[in-house]
Amino acid sequence: MNPAIQAILFYIFALGALASALGVVVLRNPVSSALSLACCLAFVAAIFFGAGATFLGIAQLIIYAGAILVLILFIVMMLNVKDEKPAAGNWFYCIVGVVVAAMMAGTISSAALRLPGATKGRCPVHVLAEHANELSPVPRGAQATHPPTTPSEYGGMLPPVSMKEGESDISLLGKTLFTHYNMSIVILSFALLAGALGAVAVGRKLHRD
Amino acid sequence: MMQNLPWLFLVLPLVAAAADWLVLARKPRVAACVSIVSALATMALCIAYLCGLQTGAPNSYVWFPVQEFDLSLGLLMDALSMKMMLVVTGIGALVHIFSLGYMKGDPSNQSRYFAGLSIFMFSMSCIVLANSLILTFIGWEMVGFSSYLLIGHWYHKDSAADAAKKAFITNRVGDFGFLIGILLTLGLFGSLHYADMAGHMKVEAGSPVLTAALLCLFCGAVGKSAQFPLHVWLPDAMEGPTPVSALIHAATMVAAGVYMLVRLQVSMGLDAFTETACCVIAGIGAITALLSALMATQQDDIKRVLAYSTLSQLGYMMMAVGLLAGEAAMFHLYTHAWFKALLFLAAGSIIVCCHHEQDIWKMGGLRRKMPLTVLCFLAGTCALIAVPGFSGFFSKESILEAAWERSMPLFVLGVVVAALTTFYMVRLCLIAFCGDARTHEAEQAQEASPTMLVPLFILAVLAIISGYGFVADQLVPYAGFHAPNTEWGVTLFAGLGSLVAGGGLAWLLYGKKNTLSGQTDPLGANLVSRALRQRLYIDAFYDHVLVGGVQRWFACLISCLDDGIIRRLIGQGLALLTAWAGRLLGRIQGGSLCGYTMLASLGVFILMLILILLF
Amino acid sequence: MTPLPHYLIFSALLFSIGLGGAIMRRNVLVVLMGLELMLTAANVSLVAFSRAQGLEGVPVYDAQVLALFVMAIAAAEVAVGLALIVAMFRARRGVESTSLTSLKD
Repeated sequence: MNPAIQAILFYIFALGALASALGVVVLRNPVSSALSLACCLAFVAAIFFGAGATFLGIAQLIIYAGAILVLILFIVMMLNVKDEKPAAGNWFYCIVGVVVAAMMAGTISSAALRLPGATKGRCPVHVLAEHANELSPVPRGAQATHPPTTPSEYGGMLPPVSMKEGESDISLLGKTLFTHYNMSIVILSFALLAGALGAVAVGRKLHRD
Repeated sequence: MMQNLPWLFLVLPLVAAAADWLVLARKPRVAACVSIVSALATMALCIAYLCGLQTGAPNSYVWFPVQEFDLSLGLLMDALSMKMMLVVTGIGALVHIFSLGYMKGDPSNQSRYFAGLSIFMFSMSCIVLANSLILTFIGWEMVGFSSYLLIGHWYHKDSAADAAKKAFITNRVGDFGFLIGILLTLGLFGSLHYADMAGHMKVEAGSPVLTAALLCLFCGAVGKSAQFPLHVWLPDAMEGPTPVSALIHAATMVAAGVYMLVRLQVSMGLDAFTETACCVIAGIGAITALLSALMATQQDDIKRVLAYSTLSQLGYMMMAVGLLAGEAAMFHLYTHAWFKALLFLAAGSIIVCCHHEQDIWKMGGLRRKMPLTVLCFLAGTCALIAVPGFSGFFSKESILEAAWERSMPLFVLGVVVAALTTFYMVRLCLIAFCGDARTHEAEQAQEASPTMLVPLFILAVLAIISGYGFVADQLVPYAGFHAPNTEWGVTLFAGLGSLVAGGGLAWLLYGKKNTLSGQTDPLGANLVSRALRQRLYIDAFYDHVLVGGVQRWFACLISCLDDGIIRRLIGQGLALLTAWAGRLLGRIQGGSLCGYTMLASLGVFILMLILILLF
Repeated sequence: MTPLPHYLIFSALLFSIGLGGAIMRRNVLVVLMGLELMLTAANVSLVAFSRAQGLEGVPVYDAQVLALFVMAIAAAEVAVGLALIVAMFRARRGVESTSLTSLKD
């Protein structure tokens, strides 16, 4: 796929994700919030696909948008939660929340923009047009053999994904997961089990006697 | 193992004191026995050493080393210390036994009393046996403490509690000087061990620093031996039980100052004692002797008379030390210890038999009621006023001899004091023992119990014979002491003259029949007498000017600091600040989940800022 | 191709929106959704970094594994959180965070 189209798609999906995230926060009805969240997560999954992390994208769709969202919706329906009414004094938290969130976003963004080499790309599309030929996929070994830690490289464009013959995203991820992180995933599965058991323990009806 | 036997001198009384205090608090008779046994055992040990027991030098205990200098505690066993130990343990043991009779029927806690006596024995042994100024200082403070305990034994009496406090505080004043003196000595000699001092002086003889060091050390002696500016505590210390007065405030502890100075003279060498220091020491001694003899002439309390006479005799000893006649000082210390202990114990016996009446004008006619006690008292009196043939005569002669050789004014003062001594002692004996009983209590007096009489007899014998050469050469705490021969000279005639003059004057003034039957002193009305009764207004001066003036101002200042700064600013201010901060912070704990989330994210935000800006 | 800072800015914005939701909303369910948004934002930056650190066109998969772990933990968290919300609803007949004041009282 053309890199320029890829970039444009990223911005579209990002805008969509942000808009639906805003919807989660702003909408009063919890059902609407939940559906908005599903949209947002789907957009993020699309961004994962665009970034080459295909397995993560699929997992995002299945786990988040599928399982978690359904669970939340199920609970919302079950509890029959009403619309949230604006309470007296809540405006204080609204203002504070917006301010805190804005400060956070501003700080992280400025930090990200001050990454070495970051300001070079004023408009990504413009830069892409300039450097289109440099960014075309190149055979393995022709590229730099060290991770981009030097300032000039780090803030710049992400290098394109290029797989060898017979390798795919999911196989590499699987290799990493089941070799280096084998023990971790076992422990994590225990954490999940504990979470499930805890959910059962907390959620069951209390026998008052 | 055997060479550590001398440590028993310290360990035994300490163990006895601990046992009395901690275990036997409710068993006074057992406690008394424990203390007496420990006193007798130390005395026996002391006699064994004097009879030639050899166990070698005792180990010393290194407290802490500092580079080349190490602070070690050890015992010094020489003629001076061992014979001094005999005086201390001998009188101590007798006083312990006497106390058994004296304290019988006393409602106060007798375990506490005997524990105090044992602590005193421990600390006095510390002073006497110390091989360095450090251990001396430790014992010095400990005797002050035990003296405080024992003066305040009847602490429910305000006067006793005040006297204990006064003694302690007055001693502290001297002790500060003593401590400075110890440090100066360390600087000048490089060591605090008596054995290392001779010949290690780092300045030439007669330098002002040396004078300062000696005078600072003398400060300690002034406090402990109750010399002139700090003498005020000793008469008040008579509030304690009489055996305590005999042991601590007459025979042993107050002599510690003299002992310490003589010990320094012996170890530093006479060259080290500069001219100025000697002048000051002898002068203070003479002034004390004169003033207190004057004050003693108009006291009515039997114990106070004896207390002032103790002061005056201590002044004599100091004078001898200042005249570089350490030998004479120790001789007088030794004879004085026996006869003054005798006088006090006899006075105690009289006081008990007169139902705790101490005013001599309320006694009278006691020679018929309790002849044995009175005889003992008279023996002590004869020794004190230096009647030829009694022990005090020899020692006082040797001091006057030294004064005659070195300083004429001091000799004259000494003779005057001797006359005054005779005057007040004869006055005391005439009023208390002659004539008829003036009160009901005196009329009912009877002879004391055997536990009190036996120590009196022993002491009376010692008061008579201890001055003769054959006893004194063996027992006087001074290396190579040799009792001087009495020669027909100026000093002898001066002594005899003062005896006759003082005794005659007292007989003239108080020997008349109508005086003896009166209830008050016939001289009590005139101005001089009133001044003497008021102790020459020295105590009043201290009370009003030092305590009332300086201390009041100081107390005001401290109170301002305390009240204004510490209480208001720090105490209340901090409390207000805390309360205010608490209210402010309490708002944060508003119970609102949103608030908590907000604060948590603010915290994360601040952390993030720090990370971004600093790294 | 998109530069790394843009991914990061997108991630920061998404995170801030989630944070704002968690602060502002009183409905505990929506707060939970805000938390999910924040976790997803973290995942986005992880994926971006995995690309940026990659050599010769191969992403660093450790970062993606971490993102996977975050998803798993998020799933567990949602399970427990929802159970708690149900329990809370039973006890208080509501899901308003303002009713959770028993520690203060």
